[in-house]
Amino acid sequence: MPQTALTEAVFYIMLSLQKPLHGYGIIQNVEKLSNGRVKLAAGTLYGALNSLVDKGWIDALPENPESRKKEYVITNSGKTVLKEELSRLSELVDNGNRLLGGN
Amino acid sequence: MLRSFYKVFFIWQLEKEQAWINEMAQHGYSLKHAGRLRFDFEETEPDRYIYKSIFLKGSSGSDDNIKYFKFLEEMGINVVCYLNYPGTCWVYTRALKEDYPDGIELYSDIDSKINYQKVMAGYLVFLIIFTLLAGLLNLSVVIIAAKAQGRFMTLNIICTVICFSLCIASFIAAVKAYANIKKLKKERQLHE
Repeated sequence: MPQTALTEAVFYIMLSLQKPLHGYGIIQNVEKLSNGRVKLAAGTLYGALNSLVDKGWIDALPENPESRKKEYVITNSGKTVLKEELSRLSELVDNGNRLLGGN
Repeated sequence: MLRSFYKVFFIWQLEKEQAWINEMAQHGYSLKHAGRLRFDFEETEPDRYIYKSIFLKGSSGSDDNIKYFKFLEEMGINVVCYLNYPGTCWVYTRALKEDYPDGIELYSDIDSKINYQKVMAGYLVFLIIFTLLAGLLNLSVVIIAAKAQGRFMTLNIICTVICFSLCIASFIAAVKAYANIKKLKKERQLHE
């Protein structure tokens, strides 16, 4: 079954989790990656992280007793999903460029 | 030093209440505790905190909500106090204004906003049914007492008026919540 599109927030969250990050780190990283365009709100991020953990696309790492902040990292199946999404986005960009006379 | 104020806010006045609490914080009174009618403020430097009231499914002590509060804490958003109602809770959170100069926004995507409105609308429907039944019950007591015994039940009349007024106000708020959900769903057809 073809995969449905990921939301922008989910795409950027998963992209940020190539290395373990806690919630606030994800927000900062997404903002940096998108040049300040995408600002994740705490409630939205919390819901997205829970859904991604349930799907097995990211893992919640055991809590670090020093920081007491929960960290997350992408799983192999998450990486596969991300690559599929990237290819879907490439198709959109290629078709857009071809029909609008871009590159 | 604590200062107490007495005010009544209903469920559909969450934004109005939040605006008032933030206005108090701007003047150096930061919310410390909120009751059903009483609000206690501590004196702090003006504009130190920014507040956000949230309406959540389940009690404040439920596992899901405790996990959520912990997550918010990691984001610099702390729970100040809460009020529990059947099946829901009303939570007062705050963060340092310097960390959230534009205010605390908890939902940045349409789906989360829709879910939030759904929780609110669901509770309003419960209130409509509850107040309607309570109003009808009181009204029937008034009618029966008047017909059978010729008695004028003042207390029941007052209760009937209060229940029906709350029912109408809840109905209006629920209509607004469903209109918001409809608007957000339309927007989602075009945008994320």
